[in-house]
Amino acid sequence: MVTNEKHILNRLYFTAGCMFLFCVAVVFKLVTIQFAQGDKYRAMAEQRIVKNVVIPANRGNVYSANGNLLATSIPKYDIRIDAVTPSAKTFEKYLKPLCDSLSGYLGNSSAYYQNQIRKARANKNRYHLLARNIGYSDYIRMRDFPLLNLGAYKGGLIVEQHTKREHPMGGIAQRTIGYERVDDDGNVTRPGIDGAFGVKYLRGTDGRRAKQQIGKGQWKPIADYNQIEPQDGYDVYTTIDVNIQDIAHHALLEQLEKYKADHGCVVVMETKTGEIKAISNLGRNSEGYYYERLNYAVGERQETGSTFKLMSVTAALEDKVLDTTDIVDTENGVLTFYGKKVRDSHHGGYGKITVAQAFEVSSNTGIVKAIDRAYSKNPEKFVDRLYAMNLNKKLDLPILGEPSPIIPDPRIKNGRWSGIALQWMAYGYGVSFTPLQMLTFYNAIANDGEMVKPQFLKEVREFDKTIVPFKKEVINPHICSKETIAKVQQLLKNVVEQKHGTGHRLYSKNFSMAGKTGTCQKNYAKKDKLSYISSFAGYFPADNPKYSCIVVIHEPDKSVGYYGADVSGPVFKKIAQKIFTDTPIIDEVESLDVDRKSTDQEFEAFYDIAKTYKTIMPSVVGLPTMDAVSLLENMGLKVKMNGVGIVKRQSIEQGEKIKKNQTIVLDVS
Amino acid sequence: MIRETHRYFKFDWITIILFLLLVGFGWLNILSASHSGETVDYFNFSEPYGKQLIFILMTIGLIILILSIESKFYERFSSVIYIISMLTLVGLFVFGKNVNGATSWYAIGGMTLQPSEFAKAATALAVAKYISDLNTDINKFKDQIQVFIIIVIPAFLVLLQNDAGSTIVYAAFFFVLYREGLPKIYLVGGVALVILSLFALKFGAIATSIIAGLVIFLFHFLSKKRPTILQPILILLACIVISSGIKFFYQDVLQPHQKDRISLWLRLEKDPHKLEVMKKTFAYNLNESEKAIGSGGLTGKGFLEGTRTTGKFVPEQHTDYIFSTVGEEWGFLGSSMVILVFVLLLIRILHLAELQKSQFSRVYGYSVAAIIFMHFMINIGMVMGLIPTIGIPLPLFSYGGSGLWGFTILIFIFVKLDSNKINEW
Repeated sequence: MVTNEKHILNRLYFTAGCMFLFCVAVVFKLVTIQFAQGDKYRAMAEQRIVKNVVIPANRGNVYSANGNLLATSIPKYDIRIDAVTPSAKTFEKYLKPLCDSLSGYLGNSSAYYQNQIRKARANKNRYHLLARNIGYSDYIRMRDFPLLNLGAYKGGLIVEQHTKREHPMGGIAQRTIGYERVDDDGNVTRPGIDGAFGVKYLRGTDGRRAKQQIGKGQWKPIADYNQIEPQDGYDVYTTIDVNIQDIAHHALLEQLEKYKADHGCVVVMETKTGEIKAISNLGRNSEGYYYERLNYAVGERQETGSTFKLMSVTAALEDKVLDTTDIVDTENGVLTFYGKKVRDSHHGGYGKITVAQAFEVSSNTGIVKAIDRAYSKNPEKFVDRLYAMNLNKKLDLPILGEPSPIIPDPRIKNGRWSGIALQWMAYGYGVSFTPLQMLTFYNAIANDGEMVKPQFLKEVREFDKTIVPFKKEVINPHICSKETIAKVQQLLKNVVEQKHGTGHRLYSKNFSMAGKTGTCQKNYAKKDKLSYISSFAGYFPADNPKYSCIVVIHEPDKSVGYYGADVSGPVFKKIAQKIFTDTPIIDEVESLDVDRKSTDQEFEAFYDIAKTYKTIMPSVVGLPTMDAVSLLENMGLKVKMNGVGIVKRQSIEQGEKIKKNQTIVLDVS
Repeated sequence: MIRETHRYFKFDWITIILFLLLVGFGWLNILSASHSGETVDYFNFSEPYGKQLIFILMTIGLIILILSIESKFYERFSSVIYIISMLTLVGLFVFGKNVNGATSWYAIGGMTLQPSEFAKAATALAVAKYISDLNTDINKFKDQIQVFIIIVIPAFLVLLQNDAGSTIVYAAFFFVLYREGLPKIYLVGGVALVILSLFALKFGAIATSIIAGLVIFLFHFLSKKRPTILQPILILLACIVISSGIKFFYQDVLQPHQKDRISLWLRLEKDPHKLEVMKKTFAYNLNESEKAIGSGGLTGKGFLEGTRTTGKFVPEQHTDYIFSTVGEEWGFLGSSMVILVFVLLLIRILHLAELQKSQFSRVYGYSVAAIIFMHFMINIGMVMGLIPTIGIPLPLFSYGGSGLWGFTILIFIFVKLDSNKINEW
């Protein structure tokens, strides 16, 4: 039995020993936490009770050149209800009035809202959405609805504020005004001006304020100042002219709808400064409506077709290997190079014509033949001339997505050059430009050879202080000689003014324009998918141009029409016309010293009488009423009149003495 | 008159004082962890500290009731008490209220009762009754099975209610049975199983099997009587099967949150970045609790001064994580005092249990000590990251009426039994 006792005691000690061992472990761990790692934990503990709260900076606005608001940030509110928080009594009491108010305000029936909120309460939904993206005044009203006016803790009201970017002008130039958007994965998309200048100017710097936790969900600012003051973003003034933009937008839209085209763009640029006055990019959605879809003007590089003939001819004239008066034989409207055919749109060709005429009627064979004759021995020279006119460079725009132009070069082995490359380039195939790059060249011609960079921004402002002014940027002060400019300006003018010109349909005797049509085949490799790009580039007025403009319309419905002059030309004309009529014409008077005999004689007659008679009644018969009245009243008479015009009879005869305040009646007719 | 005085003093006042110390100090910490404003309104019954104060006051009535019942009652009616208790557990599946994913509560009026807290005392009574029965021989396999059934029924019912923490507490009865002569093989086997499982999870089945093999054969050749080579080979085979099977148990049987906790505890995740993420997500409580305790230092920040506590950074701080309040506000000294008081209480109960003349009282006493120890170990271990997170309260300390009353009943039945030992002659 003794062994048994000892045995039991051993078991007791073992059990107690286990417990003791554990307690030792606990104390050891306690020492580790509180002493060995105590500093670490203390630091962590302090660090976690203080947090830095970000005070978001207000994003700057985007304005048009004339100060209209194009993009701005406004607070929007989401109203939700915690359907669990209100007590059963309050909930039942106020649910109906609340739903009645909601119904009156948001549209659906009161029963609908009751059903929704009851369901939310049954599902213990503490985050039931009532209204999304409502404005401040709506939020103030909803806050006072029954139940919601009890606040967050009794009524379950949850308000979330967020800032939304609004475009007060609607869809107009939306793609160019742009936005900055961050998706859930943190990827940023930044189209347009808002995107391009977001980081640099518009965004501003967020402020910071340190707050300390004093209880569950309660944060107290540590100091009564902000650690970092938020710096609001600057305002950006664009060059966009809202009036011109409006004209351009609607003119383009109308034409796109008429021709059921896929998409199109129009850009209006101020000739002297390069300021973009209007830029409209409309694409069709699946339902057939047009909206600002992509920035085609900046980002879509395409073969240009006949509008490039301007570059070809300018290059050849500048190299003096061609003159406008040179004769070319368009043969029968078909030329063959290495088995490939160049055709004129006019079946059968134009016969023997001058280069100028070939340009004006947009003869493919004529221009190709002239360029082939001038450069076929030395195509590098042609390419070099294009380079010299800055045609191979990007415009380096702030708006993202501009591609480099494509010009085939025999010296670069990239497969673009071939035996027919020169000839095809001559009439705009194989070369690719964006509409804005094309416009920049046309503008340089309009601006007498000075090539300026397209400008989107006028200045960056903080209130009324200019922070960054944007000045005109010259890309090339003389892309070619004065003589060449004069010649090609005449060509462009003739396209519209001459009866045979392709743009003559646009001619108006009221205002002048100059430009070049382009009808480019797209997808010509596959016959069944063949479609067209119709374009018109030019400037107005033809002399001393103020604006240049390009219109490009892709894939018009072939059954309605596809020629550049028909599809794109009218947009150009409409813009030119509207700007012309909207711009006040200042009639300057040549000389103020012109003799006006009749007026002078009348005055002499009046003056003679006035200085002669003071108390004796003069004859005022034959004088204009106005003169007679002023004369007589100056003498102290009261004048009564019957009729309008010249005085026929007077009630006081000539030569009678007159008294003050005597009344005289004049018969006037 | 002398008899009357004697009757008062025959209760073990040391146990009672230790009990009161823990309950009182516990309440101070509940107050600290749950008060929200500058002023403390002691009878604000919408706050946990106010409610706990009522629970504590009601405990006094409960104690008087327990002590005034004849001690033979507990022994005689232990089976009935056990059966009633089991029925209340079963009833939860029908009438129970779900709180935080566990269906462990009856809602009566505005109050909730957690019957599993009372089931521990009932099981202790039943185990004591069964073992002290003259016909029971714990060395017999049949009797071992029967006592296991008594223990496993409540453990299983509690597990079904999604309260895995309370299930583990029933392992406490191992110690009791061991003390009462349960063959060593169970304890050795149990401990070996736990160690084997942890090793297999941490180091993989192959490494664990090799180590187990080495240990087994070392024992075999060192032991004086070498029966056969068959026995160690069979044991080794069992080890290999278990260490290979534990992976499937871990993958397929455990719930995701249990897996995460074990994975963090054993540092199964090697990537330090992911480890940081784990600490901030499901180990958030532990991380916050360690921060609170760690920032306490030697003497702590002072009563109601703990920034982590008043800032309510530690979730569930007034219940399972109450020890972090002690750590932060009372520091190392305060924490050590709490541990010391628990140790003294355990030693006192074990000591008294050894002095019992009846086997029933002794087994019951052991059960009380073992249950308190199990709770204490799991809770403190969890709060400080010694063991994986298992949500059970700190006895007498944590907020909660059922828990407080459960332990009060557990302890004071023993105090009553102890006071009666003189009559056992």
